Amino acid sequence: MRLIIRDDPTQASSYIAKYVIDRIQAFNPTKEHPFVLGLPTGSSPVGIYKILVQKYKAGEISFENVVTFNMDEYIGIPREHPESYHTFMYKHFFSHVNVHPSNIHILNGNAPDLEAECVQYEAAIKKAGGIDLFLGGIGPDGHIAFNEPGSSLASRTRVKTLAYDTIIANSRFFDNDLDKVPKMALTVGVQTVLEAREVVIIITGAHKSLALKKCIEDGVNHMWTLSSLQLHPHPMIVVDEDATLELQVKTVKYFKSIEAVASSQGFEQILPSKIRTGPRTTALNSTYSPSKPATTTPAKEEPSILSPQPLTSTLLARRRRSIRFVAIRRSWCRIVWGVGLLRFRV
Amino acid sequence: MPSAVPMINNERITKFTNCRLVKGDELVEQDLWVSSATGKIVRSQEAFYGAHATPDATINLGGRIISPGLIDVQLNGAFGFNFSSIPEEPSSYGKTLRQVNKSIIQTGVTSYLPTLTSQPQEVYHNALPYLGPSGGLRIASDGAESLGAHCEGPFLSPTKNGIHPVEVITPALNGFSDLEAMYGATNINPTLDPLSGTLQAPKIKKITAAPEIGAMMRTIPDITARGIVYSIGHTEASYEDASLAVASGATMITHLFNAMRPLHHRNPGVFGVLGIAESLPRPYFGIIADGIHLHPTSIKIAFNAHPEGFILVTDAMHLVGLPDGVYEWGNGERILKRGSQLLLEGTEKIAGSSITLIECVSNFLNFSGASVPQALKAVTATPAAMLGLSGVKGSLESDADADLVVLEEEVDAKGKRSLRVDQVWKFGSKVFDRSQ
Repeated sequence: MRLIIRDDPTQASSYIAKYVIDRIQAFNPTKEHPFVLGLPTGSSPVGIYKILVQKYKAGEISFENVVTFNMDEYIGIPREHPESYHTFMYKHFFSHVNVHPSNIHILNGNAPDLEAECVQYEAAIKKAGGIDLFLGGIGPDGHIAFNEPGSSLASRTRVKTLAYDTIIANSRFFDNDLDKVPKMALTVGVQTVLEAREVVIIITGAHKSLALKKCIEDGVNHMWTLSSLQLHPHPMIVVDEDATLELQVKTVKYFKSIEAVASSQGFEQILPSKIRTGPRTTALNSTYSPSKPATTTPAKEEPSILSPQPLTSTLLARRRRSIRFVAIRRSWCRIVWGVGLLRFRV
Repeated sequence: MPSAVPMINNERITKFTNCRLVKGDELVEQDLWVSSATGKIVRSQEAFYGAHATPDATINLGGRIISPGLIDVQLNGAFGFNFSSIPEEPSSYGKTLRQVNKSIIQTGVTSYLPTLTSQPQEVYHNALPYLGPSGGLRIASDGAESLGAHCEGPFLSPTKNGIHPVEVITPALNGFSDLEAMYGATNINPTLDPLSGTLQAPKIKKITAAPEIGAMMRTIPDITARGIVYSIGHTEASYEDASLAVASGATMITHLFNAMRPLHHRNPGVFGVLGIAESLPRPYFGIIADGIHLHPTSIKIAFNAHPEGFILVTDAMHLVGLPDGVYEWGNGERILKRGSQLLLEGTEKIAGSSITLIECVSNFLNFSGASVPQALKAVTATPAAMLGLSGVKGSLESDADADLVVLEEEVDAKGKRSLRVDQVWKFGSKVFDRSQ
């Protein structure tokens, strides 16, 4: 876990924006091998989008070969409704940058078959090769996407009923009329987020300080769904000073010192590596054919510090193995399976 | 000299970026998509997500302002063409009008009401057939679009005639039939389109008349029932007369303060209906902000009394758009044009206005200290609302007609603000570019 503490929300946002840009540039995405970015809505990410748009307009970053997946969307309000997440994304990000509309994925809250929509969404993520970086925010109750307290930590994309508190909180966007507030939403699951190769979360403000404490100082608990991030091999939380108010002084000092030491050594707590999620080698491309299984394992899928892979999918959801994992070395799989079985027998 | 040739634009969807849009009383930093295929402002979000549409061309405006195209509801002529003068060869009227429309649009006025002053009957019969709504085919290269004619007279008060010749001013004693006889029944009534079989709006969109003269007061409902705006003007109306006219359906006042009784504290006259006392809807009103017709403070008072009804008009004569110099005025007199000022040669007598609408906006900015969007609203959204065209003209909302002006805001050394027309777009195509 990396915890990056900045003085105020603006600095936290610009740290994340810079991080995302660095990651996309290091990845060097192409049309055939795009960077897959998970995106949130809400008030915290607005600052991040603003900086990303500025950087795009200044020519410092292109989203030409970036594929996006959004976390969630309301059910039953028109796509063009001013409060829909389609509108949010259009207004704050997509209309200002060069993400091609065909590369954008947002759950359709008006799909005739909502279950099928969720299944398709998960399939689309897999087809895109999994999410390289999932950006997120949290609610004051520690929820990630619409995975409110009590959501299964093994959950996947699904229909979710909103908590009464959330409905009341949202009513300010719907003329303070509870009848107008959507009662349900489509959301990616905790598991969907944890399967991303990297997860970056922004948390700002004193009102979210308890959630931050619960998520990083206490144990993994479905009442604070972001705490599941502790099971991810490569998460990062970026916060402002206000969000640390409930943390122990020791925790704050620890993470600050880690960052200071790492940067004095010239890196940001993870060795910079193109292998991590960068494009496959040309050799790999030439040997690959659909009829013949690849003889070499893609380096990016090596579960190592150079190429962290989310293990939680196997730990938590025993039956599910993504297509991307088929190529993982058999011996490694056996170990993981063993650990998984043990865990569930305890 | 900027090019007068309309540019051909093959792109279907144009996106303007890095621009500030006039929306309500605010300048909003937002992109704008227009389509030259539909001639409308695109519902960009829907096109983006639904049709995966991306713009065919993107124009970076470097922070400049996009306003809806300007609407002048009182323009008597321009570029040497007087709408009220019938040429010796009447068939050349339409041809000259088409040329003039292409010139008018370069001033930023994308639609207007060609205005006829008080004239003998035959002038109406000859001119009005050409002056009706002209945007039906939605052709950008046609230039400025008529939204229908404005007949200012001849049913006026002979004592508030202004420069209208008293001999043609006449009362409508028999009500609507007198109007039909004067203007022509086919010009004042909706007509059946022989091709499509649909009803077409009358050629006339607006009539200025004195409510207290003849049977005009009881004729107002007959006028408004045809979709024609009845405007109070050139009148001796008292506050009570004006209130009754508003109750009968008047929704507009023609050049407020000019050619009417002044505001008196015991009889507030026509101006009084901008108060809310009688719980009547307050009418819209035209204001000539040329710095000559009205004192700047009067303009400010009128604006503050009812900002939602405030419409800037030029009331310009046909010399607008021509270079400074001396021009024939008919009947042997000659006019000296100096900037926007028209003087009878050899005198200091004001002979009307030749100001452009964007100059009126700049004047109003300096007179009142209003914000740029507030001032532009008075020549876009407000006149559109007065004409019943909200959301079609004078608007940058989705589905409105893509009539636009790109404006640069300039401030000179003395702090005087002005707006400069850099580009004009009609139905989603560029028709004027200052830099080309």
